[in-house]
Amino acid sequence: MLILGIETATEQVGVAIGGHEGIIATFEVARGRRHAEILTPAIEFVLRQADVDVDELGCIAVDVGPGLFTGMRVGISAAKALALALRVPMIGISSLDLLAFPCRHTDRVVVPVIDARKGEVFWSMYRQVPGGVQQVSAPTVGPVDDLVADLLARSQEALCVGDGAERYRHEILEGYHCEISAPVHPSPGALVQLAHAQALREEWVRPAEIEPIYLRAPDAQINWATREQRS
Amino acid sequence: MTHVTPDESTLVLGIETSCDETAAALVMGGNDVVSSVVSSQIEIHADFGGVVPEIASRAHLETLNPVIARAIVEAGVDESRIDAVACTHGPGLIGALLVGVSAAKALALAWDVPYVGVNHLEAHLYSAFIEDPSLEFPLVVLLVSGGHTMLVEMQDHGRYRLVGQTIDDAAGEAFDKLARVMGLGFPGGPAIDKASDSGDPAAVDFPRAVPEKPYHFSFSGLKTSVVTFIEKASASGDLPSLADVAASIQEAIVDVLVKKTFRAVDDTGAKVVGGGGGVLANRRLRHRMAEEADKRGVTLALPDPILCTDNAAMIGVAGGYWLTKGRLTDWAENVDPSMVL
Ligand SMILES: [Zn+2]
Repeated sequence: MLILGIETATEQVGVAIGGHEGIIATFEVARGRRHAEILTPAIEFVLRQADVDVDELGCIAVDVGPGLFTGMRVGISAAKALALALRVPMIGISSLDLLAFPCRHTDRVVVPVIDARKGEVFWSMYRQVPGGVQQVSAPTVGPVDDLVADLLARSQEALCVGDGAERYRHEILEGYHCEISAPVHPSPGALVQLAHAQALREEWVRPAEIEPIYLRAPDAQINWATREQRS
Repeated sequence: MTHVTPDESTLVLGIETSCDETAAALVMGGNDVVSSVVSSQIEIHADFGGVVPEIASRAHLETLNPVIARAIVEAGVDESRIDAVACTHGPGLIGALLVGVSAAKALALAWDVPYVGVNHLEAHLYSAFIEDPSLEFPLVVLLVSGGHTMLVEMQDHGRYRLVGQTIDDAAGEAFDKLARVMGLGFPGGPAIDKASDSGDPAAVDFPRAVPEKPYHFSFSGLKTSVVTFIEKASASGDLPSLADVAASIQEAIVDVLVKKTFRAVDDTGAKVVGGGGGVLANRRLRHRMAEEADKRGVTLALPDPILCTDNAAMIGVAGGYWLTKGRLTDWAENVDPSMVL
């Protein structure tokens, strides 16, 4: 089965396609936040390079966050619409899983950290298991200090990854001795790989069951200025 | 993208998510609305007295797929017959617009059909053509809603002249503020319309603001007059009934809208008057416009009230028109929250 993976939860737009034969094509652009402009041409590009007709897709996988709300909604909305049009099932995978998976060969605790803006980060912790990684702490949002406190409380050898770890490298290293390295953005290739494993077990859902992971209540401030522009 | 030569059977899927309605519709042959589904978020925003952008975006993402699916089922057509996908790409709330546009482009890619980005304001103008696609130009169109009060001369397809607009509050916003003053609900327009039912529109003579430019509107002073009137009248013990006050407020707003619209009709020699936006669902406004149109023997092309408020049928109609002209939108084009006519 061919799976298309869409990943837009951070500043990156990532698209990949793959199946039994592994990853066939990937596309990643990690500059700026032009998700709405890049995504559809990127999907078309990846399909063409992989020589796959859109009708051949058997499943749509999508990064469901946590991440930048507007960015992740661009990817989730496109993914749900594709699944609706092609009448295929979906698989949603967390951005934190996608950051941790490429680090599955380390015996340290893997800590994906995603920039949540407003001085906060999303993070979670993973440990190695046969064939992959397993989440050992629930995804959390909070100030960088809370992440450092969490690391200190566990005091295990840790590997921090993600754009949040990159942005707050200094603050994290000042509070806790650990390693900060790549990947910076969730990998669309990892998305397709993880989704493929789930698809083999038929662990997929209908588009309506795809739940974005926001971790933050909506900012209930009314944007009167923007409201003026509606009709 | 494949090329489409549009005809009577051309089927366009319209999508609208610019503010607080999630909508999808199928339009055939340019103006035949075969299905129109609108899921309103009004209830979830009512507690805030206005639209909360982040809540709106989340709700659009959750509701859009089912709304599109229902529009297709209600139309009773096979989705393989859809020739193009049209979607509002401005103006509106940026996060809300992105949900619709991202879905629209993905559908267009999956079905291998063109995508047409539609200006929401232009779509309101095009709703005049739903009943009669052969209306004669120029049209004078009154566009009144919670965010807009504009008088537009539509000289031809795609050619517009802004005749006048509000210098402060939009008409719908004035209704919202005044309904709040009177303790009626949100949104204010329907609340005041309903409260006015048995009222006398001539009970209180609220001032009609006359801005310097003959076609401009101003509604911000009305709130002060109403508050002052209610205070004075309560103190002296001659406060009219709620229905009378509501009907008089409504009349003050409607009066200005109707007078300026028909002044523009007289000045331009237009033979057709159109309208769009939620305020045009107001029964008194529709009645007064019908009277004035009758007097002059001009055609009044107001869409059904349900097509005045935000909907996707008008997006499908406007999008279908641009499809016939070959004006398609590139997948790399972004949304524009502050798009103008
Ligand atoms: Zn509107």
